[in-house]
Parts: sequence; C-alpha cells; structure tokens
Amino acid sequence: MIPNWMRSTDRYVPPRDGGTFAIRTIQSLGGVMSRLQVQRGQQQGRALPAFWKLLLLLVMLVAVSVLQNRLALMAVTALVLGTLSFWPAKRLWQTLKSALAAAGLTLLLLLPAMLLHPAGASNQLVIVWKVFLSLTMLNMFNRTTQWNEITTALRRLHVPGIFVFTLDLTLKYIVLLGTLICDLLSALQLRAVGRHERKYQSVGGVMGVTFLRSAELSRETYEAMVCRGFTDDYKGL
Amino acid sequence: MHIPENYLSPVSCAVMGAAMIPVWIHAVKKTNEELPKEKIPLLGVGAAFSFLGMMFNVPLVGGTTGHAVGGTLIALLFGPNAACIAVSIALLLQAVIFGDGGVLAFGANCFNMAFVLPYLGYAVYRLIVKAGGGENCKPLTRYIGAAVGSYVGLNVAALCAAVEFGIQPMLFRDAAGNALYCPYDLSVAIPAMTIPHLLVAGVVEAVFTVAVFALVQKTAPDLTYERLRTERPEAGGKRYVPIFALIAALIAATPLGLLATGTAWGEWGADEIAEVVQNGKALGYTPQGLANGWEMNVLMPDYSLEGMNEVVAYILSAIIGVALLVILFKLISIPMKGRKQSA
Amino acid sequence: MKLIELDKITFAYAPDEALVLREFSLSVGEGECVALLGDNGAGKTTLFRILNGLSFPQQGSYRFDGVEITAAYLKKQADQKRFHKRVGYLFQNPDVMLFNGTVYDEIAFGPRQMGLPNAELEARVGDCLDLFDLRPLAGKAPYHLSGGQKKQVALAAVLALNPEVLILDEPLAGLDRKTQEKLLRLLRELKAAGKTILIATHDPEVSSALADRSVVLEKE
Repeated sequence: MIPNWMRSTDRYVPPRDGGTFAIRTIQSLGGVMSRLQVQRGQQQGRALPAFWKLLLLLVMLVAVSVLQNRLALMAVTALVLGTLSFWPAKRLWQTLKSALAAAGLTLLLLLPAMLLHPAGASNQLVIVWKVFLSLTMLNMFNRTTQWNEITTALRRLHVPGIFVFTLDLTLKYIVLLGTLICDLLSALQLRAVGRHERKYQSVGGVMGVTFLRSAELSRETYEAMVCRGFTDDYKGL
Repeated sequence: MHIPENYLSPVSCAVMGAAMIPVWIHAVKKTNEELPKEKIPLLGVGAAFSFLGMMFNVPLVGGTTGHAVGGTLIALLFGPNAACIAVSIALLLQAVIFGDGGVLAFGANCFNMAFVLPYLGYAVYRLIVKAGGGENCKPLTRYIGAAVGSYVGLNVAALCAAVEFGIQPMLFRDAAGNALYCPYDLSVAIPAMTIPHLLVAGVVEAVFTVAVFALVQKTAPDLTYERLRTERPEAGGKRYVPIFALIAALIAATPLGLLATGTAWGEWGADEIAEVVQNGKALGYTPQGLANGWEMNVLMPDYSLEGMNEVVAYILSAIIGVALLVILFKLISIPMKGRKQSA
Repeated sequence: MKLIELDKITFAYAPDEALVLREFSLSVGEGECVALLGDNGAGKTTLFRILNGLSFPQQGSYRFDGVEITAAYLKKQADQKRFHKRVGYLFQNPDVMLFNGTVYDEIAFGPRQMGLPNAELEARVGDCLDLFDLRPLAGKAPYHLSGGQKKQVALAAVLALNPEVLILDEPLAGLDRKTQEKLLRLLRELKAAGKTILIATHDPEVSSALADRSVVLEKE
C-alpha cells in the first residue's frame, strides 16, 4: 500500500536561491566532450598530414616564444593570418575566439606593469601579441586535426607505445566518464528541488562514484585485453 | 594555476621540462613495481579522472563556483607515482587540445601540478595519518590528513608557479633593462599567486579532495592506494630524496647556464652593451622614444628600418592588413547568416 | 488544456546529425497513463529528456501545465525547482541516479531539499524504504547493490519527492518476475492515486496491464 502522503499533491514553494555548480559542470564538460567525440567536418587541413602539422606547430610555438625580433614576429603573424583568411567565417570565429580572449586576459594582467613602468610596455605588448599568435596556431591545429590523428602522429614521433596507448585510453575514458558525470549531475539536478544543504557530499558522491566506476573500467579493460591475447607486453603496443 | 604560453622564457620552459624527465621516469618505474599488472590501464583511467576533476565546478559560497586541481586526491586514490603520470597526461591534453596552459610551459605546469602537488600532498597526508595512529587511525584523521595535504600541496604548487613567474624579470631583460617575459618580480608574483590560493583555491582543493575521498573511503576503501600496498612496509619519503636533490640542482644551475651564454642580465661588458644597443636600433626598438610614452605603433615600429628590412616590413604589413580585413569581414558576416539557426 | 502538451517537436543532437524526433506531438491529461513503445533508438529516452527539461527541441513546443518549458524559463531557479518537483524521472540506467553514500541518504536527498521537518522526513524516507522492502539495505552504499536493487532504490528516491508526473524509462527491464509484479502493483496504485505516468517499455504486456493507451515511436 502506498502511504497517504503519496496520494495527495504537496503544496511546495521552492526557495529562490540555489547553487548552479551542477549545471555549470554539465555545460563545461559538454563542451569538452563534443570536441573530443568524432569531430565532424573538421578535415579541412587535409593539405598536411597530422605528423608534419604537429612538428610544424611545435616549431612555430618555439619560434614565437624565442623570437624577439619584431620583424620576424610580423612574418609569423602574416603567415598565420594569411592562412586564416582563406578559412570559412564560422570556423574562423571558433579559432579566434579563445585566442582573443586569452590575449585580452593577458593584456589585463600585464596592464598594471605597463602603467607602472611604461618603458617596458612594448615588451609586454609583445607578450600579448605572442599569446594571441600561439593560441591561434594551436587552435588552427586543433580545428584541422582529429585526436586519433594526433596519437598516430605521436607514434610516428617515436613516443613510447605505452604512452600513446595510455593517451588513447585517456581520451576514450574522458568521454565515457564525462558522460557518466553529466548523467549523475542531471539526475542530481532533477532531484535538487530546494535548498541544497549538503552540496559537498553531493560533489563527493558524484566524483566518488565516478572514481569507483573508473576503477571498475580499468579492471575490465585489462581483462578484455587479456581475453584478446594481450600478454603484459606493453612495449608491443 | 596553469601557466600560459609566453609568460615564461623558452629557457625556463626547457629547464622545467628537463627537470620533469627524471621525475616521469621514476614515476613510470615505480608505478610498474607498485601496482599489479592489471592496474596499468588505471593510468589512462586515472588521467581521464584527473582531467574531468579539473573541469568540475566546485560550489563556493553564494552560488559561485571554483575549480580544483585534485592532485592530492589523485595521489590518494591512485598513488603519488601514478598520480604524477595521470596529472601530466591530463595537463598535456588541456594544453594541446584546449589551449589551457602553454604547450611549451607544459614542463613547468607538470612540475607544479603533477610533481610538487601530488607528492607533497600525499607526504603530508601520510605524516598526519602516521601521527594519528598509523593504519588503524580514525577515519577523521584520514580526512584531516587529506584536507591538510591537499591544502598544503596546492599552496606550495602555487608558490612554485609564483617563483617561476617571479624570476623571469630578474633573468630575462632586454638591453634597456625591461622585462622580456612575465614583468612581475617575486615581490609581486608571490603575493599575487599565493594570497588567492591560500584564501580560496586551497579551500576548494581541500573540500573537493575530502568530499570525494570520504565517499570512496566509506564505500570501497580497498580501492584506495594505501590499501593496495599495505602489505609493503612504508619506505617513506626517502626514496624521493634523490629526485628532489636532482631538481634542486637543475634549478640552481639555470642562472649559471644563462650567465655562461652571456645573455643574462647584469653581465654586460662595455662593448657588448654598445652592440646590443645597436641591435636594438636595428630592431627599431628605441628606449628613448618609448620614454616619452608609448603608443600603439610600438608594436609595428619598423618603418625606420633601412634597405631590405623596410621593404620586407612593408610587405608583411600589407599581408597582415589584408588578412585582417578578410577575417574581419568574414566575422561580420556570421551574425547575419548564423543567428537565425541559433535563435 | 492537458497537463503535458508536445506540439510538433523536432530534435537532433547536432545540427548536421539525423533527426531523432520529427514533428512529434503528444498530449497527456492529468491522471492518465501512457505507454511509449518503440525500438531501440526510436527516441524514447530523448523524448523523456525533453519532458524533464534536460534537452530542448529545436522546433515545436513543450507545454507543461500551460507553461512553455524552454531553457530560458528553466534559468530561473524557483521555476526550475518547482518544475522538477512536479515531474519525477527514473533514468533507464539507475547507476547514474545514485550518488549518495548510503541508500538512506539517497532516498532522503529529495525530501531534505524540500526542507521537511525531521520527523516528517524520517517518516517519508521510511515509507519509501518499506514500499520496496529496502529497510535492511538502508545503511549500505547504493554502489554495491545489485542491478535490480539499484533500480528500486532509484525509484524510491524519485517517489520520495512525491511528484505529480512520473516518467519511467523501462522501469521493469532487467528485474525478476516477482519484483516486476510488485512494481506493477505499485504503479497501478500510484495511477489510482491520480499520478500521471509515462512509461517506456518493450513489453506489450506491461502497456496492456497498466496504460490507458499506447504510443508507438517509429525510428526515423
């Protein structure tokens, strides 16, 4: 028999306030996972294999970091922006957005130094410029490369197999465990109908359950590997 | 706490990266020894867990949220050695895929968050557990250990980052004595980094660590690192001493290496200075002009260049200008095309 | 006006992906019990996510008790909480619903949120434990329970909020015969008590035993 209170409708007025940590985490994780899952329509950078692109990116990042000659930095800028100007508008914005935000943040951080010590201002502006360049290049790389291509590229760079294997697993599990966290937080959100007094218990619960699940997953992965003939030889991976 | 690209000099980045190599080798070796074979996929899972933990919005007062690094937590769950690898991988992904923390600053970020944080946090935790009665201590002792360990770990990691920032203006200056990278010296960088970490981020870290650790302790204590290796007697922090010594030596050697190359600050010979000033002019960098106040054209001051450089500069300016215009027009066109679908 | 009104909703997970729902309409009156049938991938879970305000259709509208449920509407904390209080959702996988340290805390999560006085809270949680004979498990970690037990704990946790609408994603799947019958009896009682129930199932028997009508979702 169901209890009497279940037969009637509660007169319930929810409180106004409440935390938004669950929603915010869902949103930030959602963004990350959509980037990691099959990146549709991102194969534009077909001109260059991922291996060479990764090398080029590293060389360019080092170059931007080392260069103090403004003319050389201008040349890099011309190269980067020149390439970008051939990109479609929508991808352009995705690429530039975070680079602009990071450059803006850098500008803000360095502003006090520039005001206090105007003589050094041009050097600080170069940093802002370099931050923008580095992040734009990184984003260009990411927007044209799928992560499985990145791990293949790392293999060709003779990065140890166990490392690449672990990286692959990590990416897979980020999506898997991230989905679990999002689901747990959605379920929490649906039942969080009032004032959440025990927020930290819930945080511990969500991440704790996720850890337990991840321990289970790693055991299952190993067992599945053994079932498919894996013999503890991580060098052969 | 992620150090972005270009705040640290390339030399600092290289040194920090070099310092991490023995740490990583040690961590991989120890992980192989300590953890049963089937736990190897645990590194991948642990890295994923670490990555996601850093993305988790931890509730703070009044509806605001903050992020934890979770280094100590990962060490408590997976062991400090596995944590070092797991956090490193998480940081690598953040840097390469999401631009969170510099790719070149990866070594420095790993040093702070994948080395100092988990090892120190775990060591403090062990100390407190030992003081509180060893393996049979009360659960509360463990939670206090986790809280203090993660708080101390994070704050020392932040201090390390602050020092890395703070030594930049001391070591790397241009001919005019102006900082080339992070312009804030130790007297600014240390309070700017440590105060927010002491007051807010450290608390977030401790709360997050204890909350998750408590649930795992209650639900499945046998899955935590301590239980996995209780059969082995505690060898303690001694094993880490060689590594700490090596890294200290590396860091100490950095300025020496710089002095040796003759580019470090304060070691200019008379003719060297003349040469650099000349170079400075060749770069169009004239401190006298800047002393009058700076304008936007300091970023493209190369019009005074002679001969070939002038031509190159003009061509480059033209390319940048045209590219900027094209990009700008494309971006302006977005709202007109895109808004309808998103509305 | 019906309690739940879906008007020609269309949904896809990404702009360039296949549609999961195409111009789907459904209205459910108060106290009605509707069974949703359809193959795997036909969009039952997606539909349920929309009904709970976890996803939003790209086209068409969803009205609950006369109010259109949109992302903007649910931004307001008080509206969101009132809506979630009235609609209960049992996920298909109970694992994702259990994030507390003990079964007791799991069931008490909702009532605690509502700020019920202690005595009432304990009574409520006790009633829910009894409904599923879960008393012996009250102090255990939900993580260690069997699949069937987890499902019952999850349902108890939803019922503890006493929602007016119950949205149940395959509540009987994976349970043994005896537990299934127990649950069916419970659901019938809840229906008799005036709850509105939407239930996704593969089992035609369940729909005929419980539902006023069945809706079949076709795969796109």
